[in-house]
Amino acid sequence: MKNLIDGTTILLPLLYTFTVWIYARAFFTNAASLEPVKRGFLLITLCIHLAYLLLRTVVFGHPPITTVFEIMSVISFSVSVAYLYLEMRTRVRGTGTFIIVLALFFQVVSSIFIKDLYEVKPVLRSTLLGFHVSTALLGLTAFAISAVYGSLYLMLYHDIKANRFGVIYKRLPSLEILTTLSFKSTIFGFILLTTAITIGFIWLPRAFQSFSYTDPKLIGTFLIWALYGIGLLAKKIGGLHGRRLMILAITGFVIAFFSMTIINMFFSSFHNFY
Amino acid sequence: MNLIAVGLNHRTAPIEIRERLFFTDDEIQKSLAELTESMLNEAVLFSTCNRTELYGLTGENVLNGDTIVEYLIRTKNASDVALPVHFYTFFSCGAVHHLFKMTSGADSMVIGDIQILGQVKDAYALARKTQTTGIITHKLFENAFHVGKRVRTETELCEGAISISYAAVELAGKIFDDLGKKRALLIGAGETGELTAKHLIGRGIGSLVVVNRTRSKAEEIVSQLGGSVVDFESISSELTNIDIIISSISTPGFVMREVDLRRVMRERSNDPLFIIDIGMPRNIDPAAKKIENVFLYDIDTLNRMIDQNLDKRKTEIPKVNRIIFEELSSFHRWFDSLQVSPTIQQLHEVIESIRSDEVQKHINRFAESDRKLVELLTKRIVNKILHTPVINLRNGNGASDEEILKKISTIRHLFGLEHKSHDT
Repeated sequence: MKNLIDGTTILLPLLYTFTVWIYARAFFTNAASLEPVKRGFLLITLCIHLAYLLLRTVVFGHPPITTVFEIMSVISFSVSVAYLYLEMRTRVRGTGTFIIVLALFFQVVSSIFIKDLYEVKPVLRSTLLGFHVSTALLGLTAFAISAVYGSLYLMLYHDIKANRFGVIYKRLPSLEILTTLSFKSTIFGFILLTTAITIGFIWLPRAFQSFSYTDPKLIGTFLIWALYGIGLLAKKIGGLHGRRLMILAITGFVIAFFSMTIINMFFSSFHNFY
Repeated sequence: MNLIAVGLNHRTAPIEIRERLFFTDDEIQKSLAELTESMLNEAVLFSTCNRTELYGLTGENVLNGDTIVEYLIRTKNASDVALPVHFYTFFSCGAVHHLFKMTSGADSMVIGDIQILGQVKDAYALARKTQTTGIITHKLFENAFHVGKRVRTETELCEGAISISYAAVELAGKIFDDLGKKRALLIGAGETGELTAKHLIGRGIGSLVVVNRTRSKAEEIVSQLGGSVVDFESISSELTNIDIIISSISTPGFVMREVDLRRVMRERSNDPLFIIDIGMPRNIDPAAKKIENVFLYDIDTLNRMIDQNLDKRKTEIPKVNRIIFEELSSFHRWFDSLQVSPTIQQLHEVIESIRSDEVQKHINRFAESDRKLVELLTKRIVNKILHTPVINLRNGNGASDEEILKKISTIRHLFGLEHKSHDT
């Protein structure tokens, strides 16, 4: 079983690489024949990824959400699943390459640095923690997707403004669709992050003796929450539209990503469980 | 293959001659009936603003294309303007190639024109209704339509806008998702502006507001396209609720300056505004391009877009030629299979295959000494069954080529030989 896990740890980045390649090929060549092929391959990759996550849960006795690099693998999976859902439920085509390349990035980092932890602190076996981490991960996934669509918006916006009518112009959906996708993802992420923070505030003081409201991770998370909250409010009442809103979405995700990685690595926090 | 194609198009004849040689549907039906009575076995004739062409099967007597040219000129009383030099004639493979090139859109006045395929389909339907088509023309045009379909799905020959109005609408589609929730403002009554508004309506624009210095002209446009009229002096009050502006008015000075549009954008909470300025001189201050979420395009920009699209279409020609060649080969293989000898040979092969399989399955029920006899007997039965049909096919019994082709086609269909080809 352990060998299977190790093998899949190496296999997954390769599968994602090939999936990105097929999606990119379909994007640049616009070949109709690649449509069913690319989705089929994404489905296969996701099935193997799901099996990998379940296997890790069974073999190591805990869901893979206890270290940053385990979490990255989960984020990679949820980003791809979210994209597959979007592709199947909407008319949106042409954005798969850009979303799945993000999933590839997360999985590559995860595969390189992931460690196998058999023993975890008892506090990590709490059900409430499971809800807390799940909502936080899904929130981060939604922010990631929001940032990708924000980036695509900026690419298309600048191409249209500069009268460049190349592949990006031809293949991407309209600016309005990209805005909607990014904005809806942001709302979804904000709701989930709010839920994660709320659960955290309820559970953390009971679970940790060393809990402090000045913990770097908490401050970082709150700043992210405030940034997105202000952005949503600004859109609602202040008419924040288009380019500036997308820049906010991208900035928010970048900060969230650094909070997840750098704060965890370089700052002491009760959130460090290993 | 006694196939002939005769016609004239935008390359060989100016519009004054093409319009004289234009056939209405009634005239087409009448001409097809006359042609198939006198000189052709099968015929299809079509006529558009850019070409008039006739495709026909000539039967035993191979026709000179001039006979058909004379007929077309005489029928339309165009001998005072039309000359044989305005026409082209293709025979056999050349005729097939020309038809395929036409339905691909590669031969159109505007390369990649998608209208031609529909026009050829209508013409073929009319010929079928007039009962002047047959096996050859049916297969020929079926392949021709397949060329058109393949070019559209496998190449980008027909992609990208190639007119100002389409380019504008295509751009609008890249900025906005659902045009049904958008409002458009048409300033002026120019032809291109009106055409753009028409295309927007075709794409389901939510509503159209028309403005012109002369109110009656604006009302005339609204009566044709729908929408509402607003006084020219009230333009600025309308802008807050407008998403698309098409400006094509002839007036000195700007209708909208940068400062006006900045104010408008503040009032509309910076929602995207798409402006097409096809006025001469320009109606909208070019500095407005700098404003965030204002997408301003003039005629030069749209023409550059069109040029890029045309250049892209031209790069698709090699792919189109490959498709034409593949379909040409496929048609010729089919045509060759219609010859008598290949059909008889394939019929023998199919029947022999059935005989041989059945004998092999049941041969063990017979004694060793009887097996040779079984082989001999079954072969004799097969030969006797096939003897009369084969003789009749070979001899023809005075049947016309058309009748023979029908018989061969029927045999091929009945015995499932349709997908087999004969490589000579």
